[in-house]
Order: sequence, then C-alpha cells, then structure tokens
Amino acid sequence: MLVAHIVAAASAPALVSRLGRRAFWVLALAPASAVVYALVHTGDVLGGTGPVQVVEWVPALGLQLAFRLDALSWLMLLAVGGVGALVLLYCSAYFSRNAHGLGRFAGVLTAFAGTMVGLVTADDLLLLFVFWELTTVFSYLLIGHYADRKQSRRAAMQAIVLTTAGGLTMLVGLVVLGMSGTWRLSELVADPPRGPAVTVAVVCLLVGAATKSALIPFHFWLPAAMAAPTPVSAYLHAAAMVKAGVYLVARFAPGFADVPAWQVMILALGGGTLLVGAYRALRQNDLKLLLAFGTVSQLGFLVLLLGFGTRAAALAGLALLGAHAMCKAALFLAVGVIDSAAGTRDLRRLTGLARALPGTAVASVLAVASMAGLPPTAGFVAKEAALAAVLPDAGHAPPTGVLAAGGGAVGWMVLVVVVLGSALTVAYGLRFLWGAFANRGPVSPAGAEPPSGRGPDPEDAPQLIDPAEVRRQPVLLTWPPLVLALLGLAVAATGALGESVLGLHADGLPGEPGHLALWSGLTPALGLTVVAVALGVAVFWWRDAVERTQERFRTPSADGLYRRTMRALDDLAADVTAFTQRGSLPVYLGVVLVVLAVGPGLFLGIRLLSGGPEGSAPIALVPWDRPAQVAAVAVVVASAVLAARARRRLKAVILVGVAGYGNAVLFLLHGAPDLALTQILAETLTLVIMVLVLRRLPPYFSDRPLAADRWGRLAVGALTGVVMMGVAVVAPSARVFRPVAADFPEEAVSFGGGHNIVNVTLVDIRAWDTVGEISVLLVAATGVASLVFLRVRSGEVLRLPRGQRTHATVRDGDPAAGEVREGAVGQGATGALSAGRTLTPHRRSVLLEVITRTVFHAMIVFAVFLLFTGHDRPGGGFAAGLVVGIALAVRYLAGGRYELGEAAPVHPGLLLGTGLFLSAGVGLLALLFGGEVLQSWILDFEVPVLGHVHLVTSLFFDVGVMLVVIGLALDVLRTLGAELDRHADEEGETMAPGSTVGMAGATGEKRGDGVVDQGVRP
Amino acid sequence: MNRRTSWGQWRGIVVLTATWVLLWGSLSPGVVLTGLLVALGVLWLFPLPDISRVATVRLWPLCVLVTRFATDLFVASFQVAWLAVRPGPTPRGGVVGVRLTSPSVAFEVATAELASLIPGSVVVEIRVQEQMLYLHVLDLAGSGGPDGVRASVLALERRILRAFAAKEGETA
Repeated sequence: MLVAHIVAAASAPALVSRLGRRAFWVLALAPASAVVYALVHTGDVLGGTGPVQVVEWVPALGLQLAFRLDALSWLMLLAVGGVGALVLLYCSAYFSRNAHGLGRFAGVLTAFAGTMVGLVTADDLLLLFVFWELTTVFSYLLIGHYADRKQSRRAAMQAIVLTTAGGLTMLVGLVVLGMSGTWRLSELVADPPRGPAVTVAVVCLLVGAATKSALIPFHFWLPAAMAAPTPVSAYLHAAAMVKAGVYLVARFAPGFADVPAWQVMILALGGGTLLVGAYRALRQNDLKLLLAFGTVSQLGFLVLLLGFGTRAAALAGLALLGAHAMCKAALFLAVGVIDSAAGTRDLRRLTGLARALPGTAVASVLAVASMAGLPPTAGFVAKEAALAAVLPDAGHAPPTGVLAAGGGAVGWMVLVVVVLGSALTVAYGLRFLWGAFANRGPVSPAGAEPPSGRGPDPEDAPQLIDPAEVRRQPVLLTWPPLVLALLGLAVAATGALGESVLGLHADGLPGEPGHLALWSGLTPALGLTVVAVALGVAVFWWRDAVERTQERFRTPSADGLYRRTMRALDDLAADVTAFTQRGSLPVYLGVVLVVLAVGPGLFLGIRLLSGGPEGSAPIALVPWDRPAQVAAVAVVVASAVLAARARRRLKAVILVGVAGYGNAVLFLLHGAPDLALTQILAETLTLVIMVLVLRRLPPYFSDRPLAADRWGRLAVGALTGVVMMGVAVVAPSARVFRPVAADFPEEAVSFGGGHNIVNVTLVDIRAWDTVGEISVLLVAATGVASLVFLRVRSGEVLRLPRGQRTHATVRDGDPAAGEVREGAVGQGATGALSAGRTLTPHRRSVLLEVITRTVFHAMIVFAVFLLFTGHDRPGGGFAAGLVVGIALAVRYLAGGRYELGEAAPVHPGLLLGTGLFLSAGVGLLALLFGGEVLQSWILDFEVPVLGHVHLVTSLFFDVGVMLVVIGLALDVLRTLGAELDRHADEEGETMAPGSTVGMAGATGEKRGDGVVDQGVRP
Repeated sequence: MNRRTSWGQWRGIVVLTATWVLLWGSLSPGVVLTGLLVALGVLWLFPLPDISRVATVRLWPLCVLVTRFATDLFVASFQVAWLAVRPGPTPRGGVVGVRLTSPSVAFEVATAELASLIPGSVVVEIRVQEQMLYLHVLDLAGSGGPDGVRASVLALERRILRAFAAKEGETA
C-alpha cells in the first residue's frame, strides 16, 4: 500500500503533464486503497488480530519496517485515506487547467498521503519518527506551494522550524523510551517502563505532539499555514498532519497516561488550546483563518480527551477524532468552493451565498452542526460521550494522579473548560455560517445597514460581493464536502459499531467504558450540551460586544514572540559569524594551531607526566642517530624561527622553503631517499608558486609591525612544534598491534613486482588511496583555476601565431626560419626560447633563457627516467610529474606566459582528466580480466636486442599520477602565473617574470639563497 | 636539410641519450635504444629553437679552461669565506660593466655563467645588443679594482672562445 503511494507520487508529475488535472483522479486511488485496506481488515481488527508486517531494514541497528493495524490505526487510516482521496478528487476541479507547478504539487500531496498512512500504521519508534519528519518536509513543500508569495514562504518556514524543533525533541523522547525497553511501539505501550528518564521522555514526546498539532504555545503556525492552497489546508490542517500529534497522544496514552507530567501537560496544553483557539476564532474575518483557529481549538479538545487517561474519554476522543476529520475537512473544502466562486474569503464581503451555492451551504450547515455537537451528527455523539467522560462524579476519573488532587477541583475545572470550549465552538460555528451564507441586504455602494442590524461598521465594511456574480461551481468541487458532511450524519447512527471498534483501543485504559449513542437518555451530559449550545448562541448573538471586548484586551500573541525570537536568533548568528569568520587567514590558522596545541597537547602532556598508557613500551630517547642530523635540525629550527618573525612576505616564504629543504636532508639522513626526493621537488615547485603569488601581494605582512605580533606568532609556532614533537615521540610507542607495514617489503616484490616499497605502496598496495588523493588534487587544481580565471571558467591555451611556432620550423626544416627569427628579433636577443620575443626587452633575461634552453630537455628526460625507475628505485610518477612541473615553471619564468603555452600547448584539464582516467581506468581494466580492481600484473619477457624487460602494469597507473601532477602544475602556473600577469598587464604594472622577483625564485633554487637576497634587495 | 639544424638536432639527441645512459648507469643495448627513443620523443614533444654555436671542441684549451676555472673556484671560495668571518669593516662591493669581445649570445652567456659560479661575483645583467656584462663584485678592492675585474672576465671569455669557437677570434 505504501508502495502504491510511492509509485503514485513518483509518477504524479508525468501523469499531470499527460492528463492535466484529471491526473488527480488516478492519484486518488492511492489513498482510496488505504480505505479499502482498512475496511477489508475491519473483521481482523475487531478480533484484535490486525495484520502485522515486519521487514528487516537495518538489522545491525535493530531497525525494522514494522507495521501494525489496530483499532486506532484503523480509524486513522480511514480518516487519512478517505479524506485524502476526496481531497485529491477535489483538487482536480480546484486548480485551473494551466495552474503552475501542478505536477510537483500532485506528487507531493500524494506522497504526503502515503506518509500519513505509514505514520499511523508504523509500529517501530524510529520508523514512526521517520514518517513524522517526512510529513514535516512534505507539509513544508505544500504550504510553500505558492513559492512566489512571501507570505507563503514565511508560513512554510515557520511551520518547518516549529515542527522540526518539536520533531527533534520527540526523537529524544523516542530514543529514551526505546533504550529503556523495546523499539516496538505495541510492546512498549503494553508494558510501559517507568522512572525519571521516562518522565523526561514523555515530556519530550508531548512537546513533539504539541508542535505538530498546533497546541499552545506553538499554535500560531497553523493559521499562518493557511497561505497554502485550500485542499492542502483541508487535508493537512484538518484531517492529516495536525492529527499526527493527536495520534501520538492517543497511541501513547494507554501506556503513560498515569505519569503525572503527562497529565499536567495534557490538561494544560489541551484545555488551554481549546479555549485560546476558540477565542481567537471568534475574531477572525477570513473564513479560512476562522476555521484554522477552530481547528486549533478542536485539536486541544482532542488531545485533552485522548490523553485524559480514562476509557470513556479515550472512546469519546476517538469518536471526536473521526467526526472532526470529516466536518473540518468538509468546511475547508466548502471555503475553497466559496473562495473560488466569490473570489474572496472575507466574511464581511460575502452575502447571499446560501441561494447561490445551495449544496455547499447544506454541507456547511451539517458540518458545523457536527463540529458544534448538535444532534443528530457524529459530533454530537462524540461530544456527549466526552462530557459524560469528564464529569467528575461520573466515576470515570482515574484514581491516581493530578486529577485526584485538590479534592476533585481539577476535575471540575476540566469540565468547565470543556463546556466553555463547546460553547465557543458553537459561537464560532454560527459565525462561520452567518459570515459565509447569510444575507446582508442589497448590494449598494452606500453600504446599507444589514438586516440583522449587527453587521460590521459601514465605514470599514469592504465592498460586498454581488450574489448574482457568483459562479456555479463544478460538481467535483461541491460534492466532496457534501459527502464528508453526510458521512458525519451517517456515522452518528452507527454508534454501536464505532463503540465496538474504538473501544478496543480505549480498553487499554482504566475506568468504566463509555458509550457512543445518539440518545442515551436525559443525562447530565445532555444538560451540559444544552448549556453549551445556549451559551454559544448567546455569545454569537452579542458578537459585536464580544468583538469589542476582544479589541480592548489585546492578548500578547505567541506569533510575535516567535518572530522576535527568530530575529534575535538571526542577529546572534550574524554576530557569531562576524566574530568567528573575520576573513583573516592568520586568525584562522592561529585558532587551528592553538586548538591543536592546547587540545591534544594538554592530553599529551598529562599522558607523558603520568607515564604513558598501560602496557606500552617505555619511551627511550637518543639525541641523534648521526651528528649530521643536528646540523639539519639546527637549520630547520633557525629558519622556522626567522620565518615566524619575518616582516617581509618574500623572506618568510624563502625561509619556509629552507626549512623544507632541511627536512628533505633529514629524510635523506634517515635513509628515505624517495621521500627526500619528493620533498625537494615539491618544495621547489611550492617556492616557485609562492613567489608567483607574492608578485601580487604587498611586500610586507603588515604596515604597522607590532613586536607583540611577532612574539605571538613565535609562541604559537613553538607551542605547535613542541606538541607535534611530543606526538611524534608518543605515537610510535602507542602501537599495540603488529604494524601492517611489516609485510610490505616482501609483498611489494611478490605482488607489486617492485623493490621501491614507497612507490609500490602508492601504485599497488594502496592504489585506492592514491586514486582518492589525485582526485583531490584535481579538485584543488580546478578550484584554483576557477577562482583566478574570472573571465572564462578555465581560460584558453595561449599560443603564438601559427607562423612563428617553433615546430613549424623544425618540421619543415626550413633553413631560413632560424635566421629570420634572429633577424626579426633584432633588438639583440636571439630566440633561445620559443616565445621569448613576446616579452619586452627590459623584462627579458637572456641568461635565464639560455640556461632554460639547455636544461629543459634534460629535465624531461630525467622525469621519464624517474617514472620508469620508480618501481625499483627512488622516483615514481609523482616525482616525475613534479620534475616536469618544475621544467615548465622554469620555461614560464624565463619566457613568460606565451612560452608556457608553447611549452605545453594542452589544456591542463585534459591532462588532469587523462591522468585520472588512466589511473582509475587501468584499475578497472583489471576487472575485465577477472582480477580485482587496481590489481597489477608483472610481465617479464626477453626482447632480442633489449634484453630482459620487466614491466608491471601499475606503471600505467603511475603515468596517470604523473599526468595529474603535471596538469596541476600547469594549471597553477597558468592561473597564478600567466593569468596574474595578464591582470598585472591590464593594470599597467610592470611586475612580471623576468623581473627581479620572478627571477630570484627561479635562480634561488639553483644557487642558494645568497643570490636571492642580492636579487631582491633594493 | 640544413646542416646546422640537423647538427643541432643530432647533438641534442646525443646529449639526451648520454644523460639517459648516465642516469641508468649501464651501457646495455636496451638502455641505449630506449634512451634514443626517449630523446627523440622529448625533442619531438617539446621543440625549442637551436642556439648552440659550438663549432668545435679543442682539447687542450678546454683543459686549460676547466683547470683554471676549478682553481678560481677553489681560491675564491676561501676568499669569500675569509671575508665573511674576518674581523674589520665589510669590504666595499660594486657593479662593474665589462664589454665582451664576442657577439655570440652563446659565448656571452657561457662567460656570464662561469663568472657567476665563481664565488664573490654575480652577473647582474647582460645586454646582448651592446655585448655588455654587468657584474656585482663582493670585494672590489681585493679583486684589483674595476679594471682588474674587467681583465679577469675578458680572460675568462678568451679561454672559452679558444676552447669552443670555430676559429680563433671567431665572431659568429
């Protein structure tokens, strides 16, 4: 059945686009199926053997898709399914043929109906919550259907904020309950746990129910949600969603109604909501808002009855639940008809509709009668039972708890509240009828006094609608409310059947059974009904006086409080954001480092002082393995300290680079040439890139250097360093198990076919990691590129005009080309590089060009060597890629951005993509041959001249890695180098590669730092 | 096919193959063959203009050049080290311009490179058009003043030309 809903919801947009409005007819089948299902199983439910369905969902967590149909679910299913089907039919006439977003609406509404079906049949606490939250989400979409209206959006937001807050509170309660016993709802209620935790859980549950069912103080979202289309209001806010909270109360009442906290909350929430809702309803001029507040009031009543904790009250509550679903949905739909027919819902503008819309009028009268509890309707039956149930001397009151306290005074108060609420219900019911259908005299601009003499003041009375202009409405629009109203009549006659089915649920509660009957003699309840009706009529009769009184006593509105709270929250969020997100990188980094140093550092310190964890090897420290390490460390420390104190950006960058090279030396001294090689290459490329970036930054970190700043930076740096050192000391001694890497040397040869463990680890043993890493690399490169290339997403490859390209001359072997170029350059510089001429003479460095020309090819050969040798010796794809990257950087530095385009006339994206494809794709290829993903094969064969060839398929993986690294380097050079050059050129600046700074970066790495200092010193 | 271009190409291939063989550290046919392939591939993938003007290599002058350069390097290292640690005031440095005799870019650059490699002097700028080389010298007085610097740079250039230039005093 749920599946039917899902299918219907998923296919709704397609259906709507094909069938238009008629698609709702098909969709209505889904909720109708729920009704049929419930009716078919009536017998089982009566016998107490409703169907139970359990599907394991997440067995590891004990999550089950457990569904169960008992009397309460049966009733809810009928209400949800029946009203749902009628509302969907109604929709087909309510919306205009070319209404906007109808497909989405139909899908969401159907999905919502399905969710409600799931909610009322769920037998697992967490499943219940899932459906609960789904209704929240769908209702958000439905309330906000008219997304172009601000009011609509705000209402939807308000609804979702409140109901989600309540839902989360409820989740806490559900989890507490579930942890204390079982997750199965039926078992939990049958054997409820007790204790302080349960009390808290119950309170949480009721908060959830209160937000969902719009009880005070959360009631205000419901009237606001009237911004939704009328069918939505009718379904969600009368029959379905708001009933979810009521359902929850009814569901848990048999188990927890005797918890004192439950009783207090139920009485306060239910009674208070009953009165506040009804009171506010009397004041409304919008028919829909009037109904909304009426609904709030009735929901309070329902919660009061169902949570009351006696059999009779529960029975009455269930009966009222059914009656209310029918009558309130009918009324909402009737309002929809009126709105559609007259074009307004303002009851001050409506007149004479009784004659224009007789069917709707009849339906409304019947529905109001049921709502107000007048005979012979279902509402009357239910209200009679309710009054009888809350009569303190009727012997129904539970023997324990709050109700017994105060010598029954509380019980009497409840009775008074109920009677008062009923009276107000009668009053606003009459107001609705009067407002919607009563005659208010001839339509005249003068605003003649209405016949009743009690109409609104002429001056603020808006223009009345001429009844003659009211259009007759299609049958599909008028008969669903009528059907619902008539059902209310019919059900009233079947009190006995209702009693037997609903009694099954009420039986879980103490006290005498109640009765559902149209006529049960001259009882006190009947008397109270008469009193209530009389009071209601009186209030209606003196409605002007009542309205004036209400005007005078403006009550503080919960809505206003909510808005103020939300505004305060927004302000707080903005303040917090402004405080923490200052946009200052030093602050961010400082916070990260300080947290690192203080958090793990503190822990570390305690651990070290207390002697380390149990069973770990004692920490033994040796000053050094080789004396040379001391020298390297001294260099690293000195440069780090100086870097932290540096005022010049360039100085800091260079010093950090020195520290990096020092680290490489340390690696080397530890016997890790691979690591050292990679570190040196990465450091070099980083240095070049940093220098490229620095060109566009001011030379100093700060124009107002403060000594405290330096010391602060130094302190943070020193602290972090010490903590990391401690971690390095402690971490190895914390190992408990045999290291996984112990087998690597052997595995690398037997599986990976290589002797370089680092490389084999990268391309074979942990190839998945590498795939992930190069993916990150790719994302980073793309991110940098898209940040800098503001004009186009990734820029174009800058090339020389075709005739001037070098390969043209090489391919053609044109003897003159070289001469011509030299001649054309003329200004004294020969073209050592392809695009040297694109730079103005004063930017060129012939020295750099010639050196670049000399070493470039050798560097590429070196990279190829690293790639091939990597499997057995230091090197590998990563190092090879870095070398090529540096080679490209050198060419860029010597020849400018066109030179870069000539050196690598491909788009970096192509390299990145090809690289990733090679790495991952080759891995997948292994799958085709029956191996595992990324498995490598070792091929050994003899080639006549070449001799023995040892080929491992992971070489292709390495080639992929290399391409990605080259792509990244190229991307960074193009963005931070070439594109920034262009920016600078546009701004008329003269800083560019070949100028001092750019050159210093390139030469510094070759000759040491003395040159750099000379180069940049002014 | 132009002779010079083809010579340049061939030289490139030979140099790159040699690099490859040295990297692998073996002279097996397989290594040499793959080296050739790699060299060809690299030159084909990354074409660059040919700049080398080395017409010939003379063995004896080359020996002189290398030996003298090594000696200068050795001596200058100690001089600079002494300058760094000796007590007394910092020596006065200065920029010296030298007009070279060869108009060939290759030899100018070679001269500049070697001059830079010797500690105590760094090439600040080359103006190819004017054949001017500007050097920064750490200890101007210790290097014999501007004239002494000019003389030593020109001597260096002469040694380079003798070792590589097509004929004595070649200008292109």
